[in-house]
Parts: sequence; C-alpha cells; structure tokens
Amino acid sequence: MTCEECLSALETESLREMTADSAVIQHCATCPDCARVTTMVRDKEYETATVLNSLPPMSDPLTVAETAGVTDQRRRVGGVVVTLSAIAGAIVIWIVSATMVVPGLYRAGVIGNGPRPTGLRTETMQLSCLSPQQAADIINPYVQGQGSTYFILRSGIPAITVRGTPGELAKSRDLLAKFERDPNAACRVAETRLRTTMKAVDRAFEDANRDRDAAPSPGPQNLKGPGLLGSGGASLLNADKATTPTKKK
Amino acid sequence: MQVQPYIPAMKLFRSRKRRIDEASLPARPTLAQREAHAIDAQLASRAAAGDDSAFTTLVTRYQPAVFRWSLMFANDPDEAEDIAQEVFVRAHRRLSQYRSDGSLEAWFYAVTRRAANQMRRKAKRRTRLALSPGARPAREVYTTDPGGRVDRERATALIHEMFSNLPPRQREIFDLIDLQGLTPVEVADRTGMKPASVRANLFKARKSIRARFLATHPSYSELRK
Repeated sequence: MTCEECLSALETESLREMTADSAVIQHCATCPDCARVTTMVRDKEYETATVLNSLPPMSDPLTVAETAGVTDQRRRVGGVVVTLSAIAGAIVIWIVSATMVVPGLYRAGVIGNGPRPTGLRTETMQLSCLSPQQAADIINPYVQGQGSTYFILRSGIPAITVRGTPGELAKSRDLLAKFERDPNAACRVAETRLRTTMKAVDRAFEDANRDRDAAPSPGPQNLKGPGLLGSGGASLLNADKATTPTKKK
Repeated sequence: MQVQPYIPAMKLFRSRKRRIDEASLPARPTLAQREAHAIDAQLASRAAAGDDSAFTTLVTRYQPAVFRWSLMFANDPDEAEDIAQEVFVRAHRRLSQYRSDGSLEAWFYAVTRRAANQMRRKAKRRTRLALSPGARPAREVYTTDPGGRVDRERATALIHEMFSNLPPRQREIFDLIDLQGLTPVEVADRTGMKPASVRANLFKARKSIRARFLATHPSYSELRK
C-alpha cells in the first residue's frame, strides 16, 4: 500500500474497524508519516467521543421529572384554553358576519339580489344612424361591470338607454358618436350620393358659366348691324352729351 | 445422468436477497436486554397510568442517554439540556402511545429527534425575527462545579470545531456510529432510513470531518505532495 492509498483510505474508513492486519495499519507500521497522521485522526475522534460521552447532564432527574409533569399539565390547560378561545372567536366572527357584514354586502348588492351598487348612472342616447340593436352590439363589451346594463326601447324610438359607471357611459357615448359620424355608415349612403350628385351639378353649372364668360363679346366696331347702341342707343348717348354743360371760353 | 433441478433466475435472486437482508438484520437481543425491555415496558405503563415515581425512575434511567443524543442536535450543552427537558415533557404526555413491542430507547430517540428538529426550526424563526444578532441574549448558565464548566466549554468547542459545517443528518449518523458505536443497521432502524443511505451519509460525514482534521496536520500536505 502506498502513502497515497493509505491517506485515501483514512479519509473515509472506520478507524474502529481497522484491525492489526488491515492494510492501513500494516502500512503505518512501516511509514512513520502515515502513522503520525493516522494517530492524529484516531486521537481526535477518540477525544471527541470521550468528551461527549462522558459529559453528564447538569439537571437533577427529579427536577426534570417534576418540571416535565408541571409543564405538561400547563400545556394541557393551555391547549384547552386555546381551543375554547378559538371556538369563541369563531362564534364571534359568525355573529358579526351574520349581523353586520352579510347585510352590508347585501345592501351594497355584492351578494344576492339586493339593490344595485351606488355610483351607477343611467343615460339615454339618441341615435340618428345606427339602429338600437347595432348600438347594443357595439357597446356590449364595454358595459360589463357589476350592475351595468343597457336597454333597447321596444317602441321603435331610435335611442338606447345605458346604465353603468361614468366611465362606461363615457365610453359608450364616444363609441356611438364615432359610429354615428362615420360617413360610410349604411344609413348615410343615400345622403352621400345625393350630395355627390348635387356637387357634380353645381360644378357643371359653374363650368358652363365660366365658358360663357371666357368667349369674346361682340364690340361696337365689329357689329355689322346697328346693335343695341346703333340707333336708339346713340341718341341716348347724345342726349347725355346734350345735357353735359359746355365749357366757357 | 443426474439432472440438476431448474431454479428460475428470479427465485435465485430472491434467495440471495433474503440472505443479504438477514445478514443486515440487527442481532437478536440478549437476556439482559430483554430484561431491561420488560422493566421499561412496566415503568412506561405505570407512568402512563399516572404513577409519578415510575416516571421519575424512567427519567433517571434515560436522562443521560437523551442528553447525549440532544448534544448532537444542539450547538452546546445548555441547548442540549433544553432539548432533553422538552423530550421528557413530551414523554409525560405521550407515554400512553408507546407500544411495548418496541424498544423504549428507540422511542425516546424518536421523540428526541423530533423535539430537537422542532426546536431548531423555532430557533431559526426566532433568529430571523430578531432585529439583530445582538438582540438574542447570550447563554449564561451558572455552574458551581468548575470542572464541569470546563468540560462543557470543551464539549461546546469540540461540537463547533467538528460539526459546525455538517448537515444535521450526517452529523447525527456520524455521532451514532463513530462516536457512540452503533451499527449502520441499528441507526437505520432508529432513524427510519435505509441502511444504504446511512452508509452514504456516514461516508460523506467522515470525509468532511477528517478532511478538516487532516488539513491542519503538516505531515498530511507533505505526503499528499
């Protein structure tokens, strides 16, 4: 056995099980360095075992037994007290919840079919383009809170009544307004076509007027006939001249 | 021609396994051990019935052993005293649960183990809750016997030196086998572990403890070179 093998064996093997004919002990008999290390390990473990095994308990057994009995008795009583306290606590919690908490929750509408929670408002929104059913389809995902809902009027009036928090109402209002304003909405198609036609007619009239204005107007020198200023017109101009005061020399 | 009887492979394996299991069984109790067991069982039944003197006798019989076991779970002898006291409080209450077919020593060991582990957990919780390490009062036990005090200080130093970095299970197994002289099978029986796990833990514990011993020895490093 080499020193290396001896040290490896020394790291994990039981020193008590090492008999005189074991390889480690036989190697130690020839190698003083390994013998020193082995002795050191053996002494350390022996010392530890001796110190720990010979250390007596400080407490007197009579006192320990007496203390054990008293402590056990005290713990038994404590256990009973804790159990009773827990039962009493559970009863108190039950009474408080039955008389105060549950009615409060019921009043707030959190449980049962009690009144709806406060803070909800109702608003009827007029519709000019969308049908009430379309409006309901649009706002439905946004009106999902506790107590929030909407009503479609059965009398055929183009309006929808929404009940919800101010936030839900604002959102519904915005959405409906956006869809109502959309020029491509189905209800606006006829109106849009009419407007387009009217615009086209206007444009046609304007173009016609512009063409007429741009064409050359017949002047007095070009006129072959007497024209509007030929006969009667000239006399009218002359009459104007006659009335013009002459200059004094 | 003689025909050998056919032995199925599985049967052969089972018979071998049985032989190995029988070899690893604890030795049969001696007459003295059986007598001691009978006395223990009698004392336990009387103590469970409310006989205080029987309980005191039991405490006197088992206090040194319980204290010794507690030492390995504690960091110093004073903590071990607390654990031992707790063990006897629990024993006073639960002695009626002890079945006389098993060893009372093993029953006390199981109680000690459980109590020590619970106290360790509680101590950890308390340490975590404490505002600072200084908030915990230092342990100062007045001892009239100066020799006893020295022994306790020495034991505390040894525990810290040898076992401070060892996991609790390895610490327990090393103590039971290498310091108290129990066999791995007995330890397995007491701790509820498999003998193979006991041996594996013992191997690791020895390696860790002896590596620390050897590292301090000058010849060791020279030999390693």
